[in-house]
Amino acid sequence: MSRIGVFICHCGENISRTVDVARVAAEVGKLPGVAFSTDYKYMCSDPGQTLLKKTIQDQKLSHVVVAACSPRMHERTFRKAVEAAGLNPFLCEMANIREHCSWVHENIEEATVKATEIVGMMVERVKKNRVLPTITVPVTKRSLVIGGGIAGIQAALDIADGGHEVILVEREPSIGGHMAQLSETFPTLDCSQCIMTPKMVDVANHPKITLYTYSEIELVEGYIGNFQITIRKKARSVDEDKCTGCGVCMTKCPIKKIPNKFDCNLGMRPAIYVPFPQAVPNTPVIDRDNCTKFKTGKCGLCQKVCGPGAVDYEQEDTLIVEPVGAIVVATGFDLYTIAEKPKGSPIKGYGEFGHGKIPDVIDGMTFERLASASGPTGGKILRPSDGKEPKQIVFIQCIGSRAREKGISYCSKVCCMYTAKHTMLYHHKVHDGQAYVFFMDARTPGKSYDEFWRRSIEEEEAVYIRGMVSRLYQKGKKIVVMGSDIAVGVQVEIEADMVVLATAIQPQAGADTLAQKLGISYDKYNFYSEAHAKLRPVECATAGIYLAGACQGPKDIPDTVSQASAAAAKVMALFSKDKLEREPIVARVKESACVGCFACKKVCAYGAIEEKEIRDRQGNLVKVVAYVNPGVCSGCGTCQATCPSKCVELDGYTDEQIVAMIEAL
Amino acid sequence: MHTEKPKNSFEPKIIAFVCTWCTYAGADLAGTSRMQYPSNVRVLKFPCTGRIDPVFILKAFQQGADGVLVSGCHPGDCHYIAGNFHARRRFAAFRKLLEFIGVDLNRLQFSWVSAAEGGKWVEVVTDLTERVRSMGPMVEFKELAMEEQWSGTIDTPELKEAYNQI
Amino acid sequence: MTQPIDESIYTAVTVAIQAEAQRILSEGLVTAVVGYASARRKGSTQPIVITDAALAEKLIFTPACVNNLAVYLTKAKKEIPKTGRIGIVVKGCDLKALVGLMGESQLKREDLYLIGVPCIGVLGSIIQPDTAFTSDSIAPKCRECDAHLPLGCDFVPSQQPITPELEKKYAAEIDRLEAMTPAERWAYWKEQFSKCIKCYACRQVCPFCFCEQCLCDRNKPQMVETTPRPAGNFAWHIVRAMHLTGRCAGCAECERACPMDIPLNLLNRKMAKELKDLYEYEAGFEVNAKGPLTMFTEKDDQSFIK
Repeated sequence: MSRIGVFICHCGENISRTVDVARVAAEVGKLPGVAFSTDYKYMCSDPGQTLLKKTIQDQKLSHVVVAACSPRMHERTFRKAVEAAGLNPFLCEMANIREHCSWVHENIEEATVKATEIVGMMVERVKKNRVLPTITVPVTKRSLVIGGGIAGIQAALDIADGGHEVILVEREPSIGGHMAQLSETFPTLDCSQCIMTPKMVDVANHPKITLYTYSEIELVEGYIGNFQITIRKKARSVDEDKCTGCGVCMTKCPIKKIPNKFDCNLGMRPAIYVPFPQAVPNTPVIDRDNCTKFKTGKCGLCQKVCGPGAVDYEQEDTLIVEPVGAIVVATGFDLYTIAEKPKGSPIKGYGEFGHGKIPDVIDGMTFERLASASGPTGGKILRPSDGKEPKQIVFIQCIGSRAREKGISYCSKVCCMYTAKHTMLYHHKVHDGQAYVFFMDARTPGKSYDEFWRRSIEEEEAVYIRGMVSRLYQKGKKIVVMGSDIAVGVQVEIEADMVVLATAIQPQAGADTLAQKLGISYDKYNFYSEAHAKLRPVECATAGIYLAGACQGPKDIPDTVSQASAAAAKVMALFSKDKLEREPIVARVKESACVGCFACKKVCAYGAIEEKEIRDRQGNLVKVVAYVNPGVCSGCGTCQATCPSKCVELDGYTDEQIVAMIEAL
Repeated sequence: MHTEKPKNSFEPKIIAFVCTWCTYAGADLAGTSRMQYPSNVRVLKFPCTGRIDPVFILKAFQQGADGVLVSGCHPGDCHYIAGNFHARRRFAAFRKLLEFIGVDLNRLQFSWVSAAEGGKWVEVVTDLTERVRSMGPMVEFKELAMEEQWSGTIDTPELKEAYNQI
Repeated sequence: MTQPIDESIYTAVTVAIQAEAQRILSEGLVTAVVGYASARRKGSTQPIVITDAALAEKLIFTPACVNNLAVYLTKAKKEIPKTGRIGIVVKGCDLKALVGLMGESQLKREDLYLIGVPCIGVLGSIIQPDTAFTSDSIAPKCRECDAHLPLGCDFVPSQQPITPELEKKYAAEIDRLEAMTPAERWAYWKEQFSKCIKCYACRQVCPFCFCEQCLCDRNKPQMVETTPRPAGNFAWHIVRAMHLTGRCAGCAECERACPMDIPLNLLNRKMAKELKDLYEYEAGFEVNAKGPLTMFTEKDDQSFIK
């Protein structure tokens, strides 16, 4: 038989003003199972909690109901107090007679009746409460970072500096990402590679970081603290251990005219190559699609010239399994290729701006490569078509971004600033040139950002034209840009030598596939979704997975680095304990009744439900049932409502508890 | 502000099934903002609308509820990613079933009330209470519960004849 | 007006089924064939499990072959040899149940050898199994059947089912009930459900009621009153209809098995109709990874939610 103690709080006068608390205590005292009931001025106060603890011991109470404010306010307080008195915290329930009763009703009679019923309901519920032990799961204190751009590098370095092992996986042959491609960075105009490459070297040299480049995530299994990651290390055709990075193979390779993706296809590279001279690791990779040896079986020059004998044409993809406890996803962004309409995509292309057709219409990243001292032109701004210096240059902002009719409604955030930077770089390099910028409005929030933008106009002589471009066409060697200046209300026509489009930032291709492997959610643009837009911006809803950088949404470098460090801090907080403790509000399967229809598995948003084989002593398969992984389950209970035979039950919200409440009414 | 209600008039019993993250918090906000609404509603807290089984609604009616409210997070706001989306389908089907059985759907309300919508909570609860009050008691299930008729009663000529032949 | 239905193709269908069963058993493709055989009363049939090729000639197909044999593969699976592939004779409606069961991980396609029946319909009732097969005696489900020729079977006799156009009784009845007021519908169902004796024949015969522990038998907590009183009857039939929503493909075995003639399949068909309207979902045509109530789209109708 239960010995339930009921404590009715006055909350000063907040409750007792409209609820006759003494009468409620007397009424519920008559309910079967209630051994003790009283009212008290402030239950949450120290004396109130002492009263609670003392009564539990004196009266040998088995369950407790505290009728006071919302459980959202003080459930934790009272459960702690109950625990201190030696009862399992989950044998304590709160009845909300303040927010849901005394504060919303004026009539004392009505409020008192309602309060009595609310308390009575919770008394019936608490009778069915079970002792719930805290769930602990072990933590593997190693972390996986996916993506070797600035976000992934920062997160990896921070976690590794914190003393934990990091596995860094990068899809390209080198880490560095987009930041390595940039010329200078706003708002300080410091050279991107000068600040980036030391970090890349740090990653390569860090004893706690294992780097897998030219590798992709094949499979993700497990849950927070206990992931198993299968990594596909693609065949590089060069043995990383043997290669010294001397580069002779690259100079001898007879195939030299392959457009280099790193240089936005402006420069050329051989078939055996590193994407850029500062690549980490400095180990070349053979582009098997363009290599003569792989295409025809002849050549093999690189192998002949390689002193250490590192070139290995027989190399195959290898699968590596790494156990980790946390995952940081930092897969970054790509620029929207406006020329093509992606197949099946709701996003429409911008064929009208001639990108991909007119050679001197380029995107922002291509301009970065032109402006970069290590770029294909050695830092000279030259037209891709004829290598001449453009004297009139037009920048067009918001290409793709903020264009709902084209399918992207968001702002890409960085384009206003980098276009301002481009006008400055242009002005520094082409002194007699003139830059024009077509813009909708300039968005420059950020430290020293607006000052930077104003400088581009006031000191660097960029002409900003508020309005969009209506038409753009080639006329001889010029590109005619027609648009309207809505500030003045006139039509503008500029004969430009080069046009730079600030194209929208999009998640990397394949972001959705990776999200499905990880079991994390993503929005309609494939940006990954954070658990809470304001309060949990670096965590995924899937426990143990964190986000860093532009894979979550357009971001500039400082924001990306901040988020990467924040994700690292989250990982280290997770690793600060040997075992994870979590609230035991999780679902459990009654295996004897489960018929394995897996309706529960179908509705589980967390992938917490697995298929479990039940075998007899001889090892014969008896049946396959559902199994809830308590480390992954978040306790929503959708599985239970879906299960036809209710053989999966959510602890803390069992059918018995709920039906007891309904029947109490 | 409250108009005097005539004594002994029908006061409906309203049971609300709500999720803890949005609607329960919204109801808390109504309290913190000292908004006023009819005292007929009794709130049952669930982690998520996804946990709410249609059987609970049936059970509530059988236990004498005159009106039932199911309320949770707006689409996209679910604390558990998609529980409310599953609930939406489940209840879209279940209300059609109840309607076909002959339950007046004016007694069954579904709503999305966020943690910020204290005012909406008050509006939803007040509207439902007033609507159900004007409809009168939900007699159907109550009558059923009172009926002790044993369904094996031989009350048709065919059954009587068959019985006599045994 | 009563018009006879030509059932002559069933003679050829029977021969074809026998030959195929004989072949797959003797070739060892399957360990057993579940089908229909003659029973003692004139015209009556009964389900049979054949494991010996020599007995394949026992198999028949007639308008009295009403049973949905799919139920033998789930609930009665203990009756069937555990190892090896099983052959089963299926009408279009039975196949829909099998398709649903595959989607719910209860059966695997590769474990089955499906012998499809080109079906022109079966009798509505086999209380008098030698009743003439006419537009009156045909089962109501066959009047609105959309699967006379089962698709995706391993073997289907070549006969083409030619069926007369008949008035759709379920559809008409659903329309009639929908036009009523809630109170009138309540009165209708109250009368129907008051007949229920809670024999659970509907549960027993339903291929989808495969739970080992039925929610309605539970007593901790008691979700549904178990006594055959009106209150318990209502609860049972509502829960049953809800649990079959999105799964039932309308084999109407519940209704046939009901000794009290409660129009049970009407509820299931009404729900199927609603799901088709709401989510363009029709059960039983393809093996789906998720059923309509275990999936969602963000754009689902929410006009009923305030």
